[in-house]
Amino acid sequence: MHTSGYTHRTARTLTGLVGLAATGILLTGCATAESPEATRPLTGGTLTYASGDAEPTCLDPHVGGNYPQALVSTQYLESLVSRNADGEIIPWLADSWTESADGLAWDFTLAAGVSFTDGTPLDAAAVQANIAHIQDPETASSTGYLALGKVTGTDAVSTNVVRLTLSEPDSALLESLSQPWLAIESPTALARSQDENCASPVGTGPFQVEKWVQQESITLVRNEKYNSPPADAAHTGPAYLDSIVWRFIPDSASRYAALQSGDADVIDNAQPDTIVQAEKSDTIVHLDAPRPGASNRIELNSGRAPFNDPLVREAFIRSANVDDAVTSLFRGTAERSYSALSSVEPLAVSGPDLFAYDPEAASDLLDSAGWTERDSNGYRVKDGERLTVDFPVSTNQSIPAEQSLFEQIQATAKKTGFEVLLSPMDLSSWYTALGENDYDAVSAPYTKVGPDVLRILFHSDGITPAPSGYFANHAQVNDPAIDALLTQAGQVTDADERAALYADAQSQVLAGFYILPLFDQQNHYLLGTDVVGARALPTVSTPTFYDAWLK
Amino acid sequence: MSDLEIQAGLGRSPRTGAPQSPRAPRIRRFGVAEVLAGLFALFLVTAALFPALVAPGDPLGIDPLSAFQTPSPAHWFGTDESGRDIYTRVSHGTGSSLLIGTLATVIGLGLGLVLGTLAGMLGPVVDFTVNRFLEVLFAFPGLLLALLFILIFGPGVATATIAVGLATAPGYARIIRGQLLSVRSSAFVEAATVLGRSPVQILMRHILPNTLAPLFVLGTLGIGQAIVWASALSYLGLGSAPPAAEWGAMLSAGRTYIGSAWWMSFFPGLFIVLTAVSATALGRGIERRVRRA
Repeated sequence: MHTSGYTHRTARTLTGLVGLAATGILLTGCATAESPEATRPLTGGTLTYASGDAEPTCLDPHVGGNYPQALVSTQYLESLVSRNADGEIIPWLADSWTESADGLAWDFTLAAGVSFTDGTPLDAAAVQANIAHIQDPETASSTGYLALGKVTGTDAVSTNVVRLTLSEPDSALLESLSQPWLAIESPTALARSQDENCASPVGTGPFQVEKWVQQESITLVRNEKYNSPPADAAHTGPAYLDSIVWRFIPDSASRYAALQSGDADVIDNAQPDTIVQAEKSDTIVHLDAPRPGASNRIELNSGRAPFNDPLVREAFIRSANVDDAVTSLFRGTAERSYSALSSVEPLAVSGPDLFAYDPEAASDLLDSAGWTERDSNGYRVKDGERLTVDFPVSTNQSIPAEQSLFEQIQATAKKTGFEVLLSPMDLSSWYTALGENDYDAVSAPYTKVGPDVLRILFHSDGITPAPSGYFANHAQVNDPAIDALLTQAGQVTDADERAALYADAQSQVLAGFYILPLFDQQNHYLLGTDVVGARALPTVSTPTFYDAWLK
Repeated sequence: MSDLEIQAGLGRSPRTGAPQSPRAPRIRRFGVAEVLAGLFALFLVTAALFPALVAPGDPLGIDPLSAFQTPSPAHWFGTDESGRDIYTRVSHGTGSSLLIGTLATVIGLGLGLVLGTLAGMLGPVVDFTVNRFLEVLFAFPGLLLALLFILIFGPGVATATIAVGLATAPGYARIIRGQLLSVRSSAFVEAATVLGRSPVQILMRHILPNTLAPLFVLGTLGIGQAIVWASALSYLGLGSAPPAAEWGAMLSAGRTYIGSAWWMSFFPGLFIVLTAVSATALGRGIERRVRRA
């Protein structure tokens, strides 16, 4: 799998790592280095990536729009803009952009001379076709669709200038457009049937989809004509790797074993215990990339009993001992969160006092909510009904350590009298359970660049399903005051005003006990030391292998 | 317990020390393997009926701050990722594993008995039909048949039990049919027929009683296999759901940490193996005795 004959170039690799550090990329575990001039990446070779996420059912992230799609599509699709390590929006397929004075029109000037891998040129019409594709209900987009909620129309101002017109100002538009779910695909390819486009989407990226053997792997090969790296890339021109084999190994122990044996060069979704092992090892490098957007949290369904009663929600939150669980299960690889937002979001508001473990307070709250009796198993009872919490768990999205965390919450909540019914299920059954409103608690990752994720998760509009059938407001927060704050925050352009509005909205969400924050949604990648130059894109922390090479 | 020990003691009595005695094989009723298997089976039955006797703790009780502890005097089999005591969980898991294994075997034997009797008693047309049906079922490996059943009826302890029972039924049916045919052609059945007994009477009075003894042996042997299969289904997430103390589910949970906490999967695995081995050893012992008698 690795190119042979390059095994003795250790010095070059070490300096390569320093070169990466200089570009602001965090690679832990690297050794001391020599002069940066000696870095000369080697072309060729095949990198094997083993993913623990679910295999996408469609490789076009416009369709649906989940994280597994984003992981792989980052290799072959590109967005209009990107973000650098400081969180600033930087040019990608769009060279520059301007916003009209009223905030209702945005003009994007596209990079010149860029073509999709099928030869179609990137122009204003191509971007129009993509926006139309995401907004078409037949595409069944959820993530991209929700992000473009305010976009009402597009115009081709000239061949390379496209204008988006909005129903109201959107302070999150650039952040939304930087995400892989809004990547720009070839309009020629989009014109094919959805099945065809799902199997081989066509973009402008450094690699292109060659072959997809379902249940096994996706083969990506280098785009020889590549000329559109984001502004923060380390080089220009085509990628160094010949190809990438994208495999799916759902079992975390097997995935780690594949990395140790050299069958895989990079793995994702590393378990805390393997991260701790890897940090001690000198043959594996840990790349930690917290995801932006929401923190990892349990959402309590306020749309039906028992969690339609705020006292019961608070009681549940007070009854859960999360601190000890995070300490023991994540072994220092993740910090406890007390916020609705990821710690990488500068506007995150944290409320540690609201989420302290306090079983006595929890008992008192249940008493005042009328759940005063207990049955023979110790569970609380009211009007002959047991206090039961249905908790469907997606085994594709929740790593084993997270599932153990839910078991510990189940055990501590039992002492207060909650019967938590954990039901592990695959992704599609889990979507079905949510769609049928058949849950009381759920933990769903939601990754989005910027604080606008709050609007997606907590605005009452989010209770209405997107065309894919997915709705993001799992807590079913339906509060006009919160709606008003989030709508206003999404419109104002003044940074301070925006920050104040989001802070207010977050405080109200936290104080309403709709969510139990757990820890940051994190991407932990483990890489063999033969992989140099891989990094996570600072947009939604998906890996990119454009600058990567194998020694 | 005492009964077995007394017999085991007899086995080691001075009388058996005389290897030249022609009666020795008869007197030496229990081998070392059988005694060990019997003792382990006794432990299992105790754990299944009175789990608090062998492990007083709570199998679901967590203690996050003492997670991942290696086996020690305080935690004989170590602790898991939530600080639960593995020995307690393995002991409390015995009940469900034995219950699933026994019920599945009863279902398999019951179905096998019905199919085998139909084939063996109702003439060539039924025999032919049942046999072809069994051959179709044999074309699927047993576990695949169980998976198919779970696919249709959904995962869970009840469906896993029935699924394992169904998967084992064709094998039993075939053995029972063969046994029936050989008993049916024996002299005492012919005699009964000549005496004018009705077919139902012959079946109930003569054929079934002579078929059921070997069935008991089959069942004992089958329990071990059924437990392994049921554990396999739980391991795949199709039987008991975590954090239930069930061997297969525990094995599956431990798999994640196999590189750093071997005891999490080793002890549940050991119990599955020992249970299957002791059930087989006991079954073989009974089989030998039945054959000799």
